[in-house]
Amino acid sequence: MVIRIAAVGDVHLDQDVVGRFRPALEQLPESADVLLLAGDLTRHGTESEARCVATEFGDLGVPVVAVLGNHDHHCDEVPAVIRVLEDAGILVLEGTNVVLECAGVRLGIAGAKGFGGGFAGRCASEFGEPEMKAFVRTTSAIADQLGEALREMDCDLRVALTHYAPVPDTLAGEPPEIYPFLGSYLLGQAIDSAPTELALHGHAHAGSERGTTPGGVRVRNVAHPVIKQAYSVFHLHPPYAGATAGKVSAVSAGGSS
Amino acid sequence: MTQRGAAGTDPPDDYLEAAIQRLLTECTEIAEQGITVTRRDHSVLLCGEVESARRREEILRLVVEHFPEVPVTVDIGLIRTQAPTEVEELR
Repeated sequence: MVIRIAAVGDVHLDQDVVGRFRPALEQLPESADVLLLAGDLTRHGTESEARCVATEFGDLGVPVVAVLGNHDHHCDEVPAVIRVLEDAGILVLEGTNVVLECAGVRLGIAGAKGFGGGFAGRCASEFGEPEMKAFVRTTSAIADQLGEALREMDCDLRVALTHYAPVPDTLAGEPPEIYPFLGSYLLGQAIDSAPTELALHGHAHAGSERGTTPGGVRVRNVAHPVIKQAYSVFHLHPPYAGATAGKVSAVSAGGSS
Repeated sequence: MTQRGAAGTDPPDDYLEAAIQRLLTECTEIAEQGITVTRRDHSVLLCGEVESARRREEILRLVVEHFPEVPVTVDIGLIRTQAPTEVEELR
């Protein structure tokens, strides 16, 4: 059975954006089994902006699962933001997971915001000033939780959802100097620690869509400025073994099929 | 050659891009991290995409308000929100 996953990140909602996504979202249940939101749902993380997210992405007719992004943390109102989203039926993951039943397939989604630090060979280390060590430890702890959340699921198909990027591939287009602020290889390592089928992230507005972890997991940057549409849809075909050999990606017409 | 503002309060040209970039991010009325700021001769060019026309107007207003002496060129588009016409098949 093909599982259809819709995803978008970095929608940065406030009053001025409410209603822009809704016409396309009304069509979503015809083309997807679930919608994943890859963080930066609000402009700067207020409860009132979260209500805009709830209005726009609530009551869609399919499960909606989200992680938060750095913008959603800015005003230190994270508990209120999460409460508003969850009251609207939008499940927020942070080092946690959920298993959904989709057409007889157990779809496991593990999510975390993630954090920065950079990528192998050009990354920050847990060394030196307390601030530097705290920075790296933050990413390390989040990555550990994400890996655990992925591995512990009893499901047929695993998807990882983050805001920050797990690989540098999907950052192509961004200035290389800011890669350490856009993601961390530790997230990729966590994703590779389980037989993950697909990893979705946002955050890199000037990045590119496609990448792969060193372990062969397909990575997609679904930041709204990157995909330039209300959401992208991915069809995941069985077998869902997380195997790396012989994977083929193709784009086909018919987003509402 | 870098020239400092006559009043001594304006940022030197070399720091202008950084000052605008931080202003657009740290001003919570804007909170935009996706705008590219490029200095060109005697003006600055703001490029990128935002979620609403109102945000584009706010960006221009804020930059002009904070840097009234700097000519600003804006090439900021709206991100499209149509439903997808294609899906990606992952086998």
